[in-house]
Amino acid sequence: MSNSPHILVIDDEPQILRALRTILTEKGFRVTTAVRGEEGLTLAAANTPDVVILDLGLPDMDGIEVCSRLREWTPCPIIVLSVRDAEHDKVAALDRGADDYLTKPFGIEELLARVRVALRHSTRTQGAQSQLVKAGPLAIDLAWHTVTRDAEEVKLTATEFKLLAYLAANRGRVLTHRSILTQVWGPADADHTEYLRVYIRQLRMKLEADPQRPEYILTEPGVGYRFLADE
Amino acid sequence: MRFPSPAYFLRFLLSVGLLILTTAAFLALRGVIDTPLIALLYLLPVGLSTALWGLAPGITCAFCAFLTFNYLFIQPLYTMTVHRPSDLVMLLVFLLVAVVISQLVGRAQMGLAAAREREREATKLYELSTALAGLQDDQSIAAIMAEQIYATFRGEGVEIGLIGDQPVMRKFPEGSSGSSSPPDLSLPIQAARGLMGTIRLWRPALPASPQERRLLQTFASQGALALERARLAQAESRAKVLEESDNLKSAILSSVSHELRTPLSTIKAAATSLRSGEVSWDSSARGELLAAIDDEADHLNLLVGNLLDMSRLESGALKPKRQWNLLSEIIGSVLERMRRQTEAHRLEVEVSEDLPLVPVDYVQMEQVFTNLLSNSLKYAAKGTIIHIHARTTDPVTLLVQVTNQGPHVPDKHLESIFDKFYRVTAAERVSGIGLGLSICKGIVEAHGGKIWAENQPGGFAFDFTLPLTWDGAPPPHPPLETDVA
Repeated sequence: MSNSPHILVIDDEPQILRALRTILTEKGFRVTTAVRGEEGLTLAAANTPDVVILDLGLPDMDGIEVCSRLREWTPCPIIVLSVRDAEHDKVAALDRGADDYLTKPFGIEELLARVRVALRHSTRTQGAQSQLVKAGPLAIDLAWHTVTRDAEEVKLTATEFKLLAYLAANRGRVLTHRSILTQVWGPADADHTEYLRVYIRQLRMKLEADPQRPEYILTEPGVGYRFLADE
Repeated sequence: MRFPSPAYFLRFLLSVGLLILTTAAFLALRGVIDTPLIALLYLLPVGLSTALWGLAPGITCAFCAFLTFNYLFIQPLYTMTVHRPSDLVMLLVFLLVAVVISQLVGRAQMGLAAAREREREATKLYELSTALAGLQDDQSIAAIMAEQIYATFRGEGVEIGLIGDQPVMRKFPEGSSGSSSPPDLSLPIQAARGLMGTIRLWRPALPASPQERRLLQTFASQGALALERARLAQAESRAKVLEESDNLKSAILSSVSHELRTPLSTIKAAATSLRSGEVSWDSSARGELLAAIDDEADHLNLLVGNLLDMSRLESGALKPKRQWNLLSEIIGSVLERMRRQTEAHRLEVEVSEDLPLVPVDYVQMEQVFTNLLSNSLKYAAKGTIIHIHARTTDPVTLLVQVTNQGPHVPDKHLESIFDKFYRVTAAERVSGIGLGLSICKGIVEAHGGKIWAENQPGGFAFDFTLPLTWDGAPPPHPPLETDVA
């Protein structure tokens, strides 16, 4: 079992720790738990986990701080847990290097899906990036700058493609408004969320079967967007 | 002692100049008019000088006139000697009359100037107290005071520093960043309860006269009064908020204990029966019990979210974090999340993708739609249609309608359904704390919109409006591009 992925859970609620330990162990992960930020940092340094699940509301230190301290030395994926109204904290954690977030209360399928994405992503960054991203009827070729839907080419403008390519290259991961705007439009336009809204709408109209109920370009309320590709 | 300004000397020069002019005229007429008449006429420049340029130039003019008159018009001419006793009497009387006239005119002038000054003070004070009236917060009071003091005393700059950790209010001419030298005039703002702040005035060019000091003192006490009034008003509204939130808390406690227990009972019953082993592993009952636990947990989560929003709304902490958003996107994510709850109804969404962007808080707007939908789901029978429709009524307003085929609400209740803990039906019939709609109202109003409900033929509708401009401006357009990758 020593080859199974190792997950470090940092949360101060014993009930949550108990539930997560039970479920994740059942799913074949090795699980270590910590109830304080300092303890979590020490455990992370000692055990080099494959994924860290981090609650943002810790008793001894700010979860965002834990996030930045982890990022100083490890690229290991961090999934933060937070509550509905703390969008600001989630965005801050993501901008400081967290990879994903979950809003409490969450379903376990959601958590497992995020853990899988995180693990896949960390192995992918070590290996070669795949050039072709597939999502349902969509195929995006990042190298040749082409997008097809049911094998028919979809015409995109330069900015639309740049946006889609950034989302697709980070498939499965949540990307904050700021990071997308900086990447696609440049740092000077990092606050122009309205550009993003307009272009996401255009992309959905061109790519989604029902733009009102998108299946691939998903909105993360108050945080950003996520591209859902085939596993 | 400061050196008098050049303007001061100019006044003397002007009065002497006037005298020289009139003397030249009299010299030309020396043979024509009598000497006593000339003495009389000499009173003109003397009086005029005093009226125009003040007492000291007037007196100077009188003496110069006396000497000139003696030198040029009294026999023997071009000497300062006087032969005839009658001429001597005339000269002395002239001097006396000239000085008396100067003094009378001068005093009247000074009286007039003082009256004008007092009137100016009164006007300035009136302006200050009018501007301060009705202000409720310290910063705007300090801002008005700085503004008025700057306008009245015409200094190089004014600073109002209030006690406590409040920023210093400054008023300096544009381009100047303030003075590093100590202020030329510094006055405490003293109220009955103690020192409230300090006024600092920079005016190196002109020292403050006693009248100006007095006026500044009055400004300071006016400011102190306004500050004290604001503090009292704040204390009063705080007390009111406390009282209201106290009432709210007890209402919440009684309502919540009932409402939270319902889903909790369901969860407890389902979980214990699953644990007891009495429900077989693959029966459909097991699936239903698990679904009940899941649904009721979501329900609890919505209740807790609403309670939290309510307490924020009460304390004024529910400030929308606005961004330009697509309404269709918000509605889409709400429907996605509520997919299971809405399965039993038929949902029709008529929200065009082409609607302009709206400046709203995404998460709060989700809460509005979630609450309006759960309310509609609760009261409208299964299988009926719930319709969401949005359109622009004018270029700056968006109207959103959530219509259901549920029962009518008596007209007298239409407004109060948005009140806290207000429910039209008996509490036992439909679950809910009566918070959802009041939160919708709070959020919509915090966005500058309006919300209301109306009975419609065959159903019931919630309507709300949202402004399409943010601080008066429409959404900025992204840079245009037409090329294809």
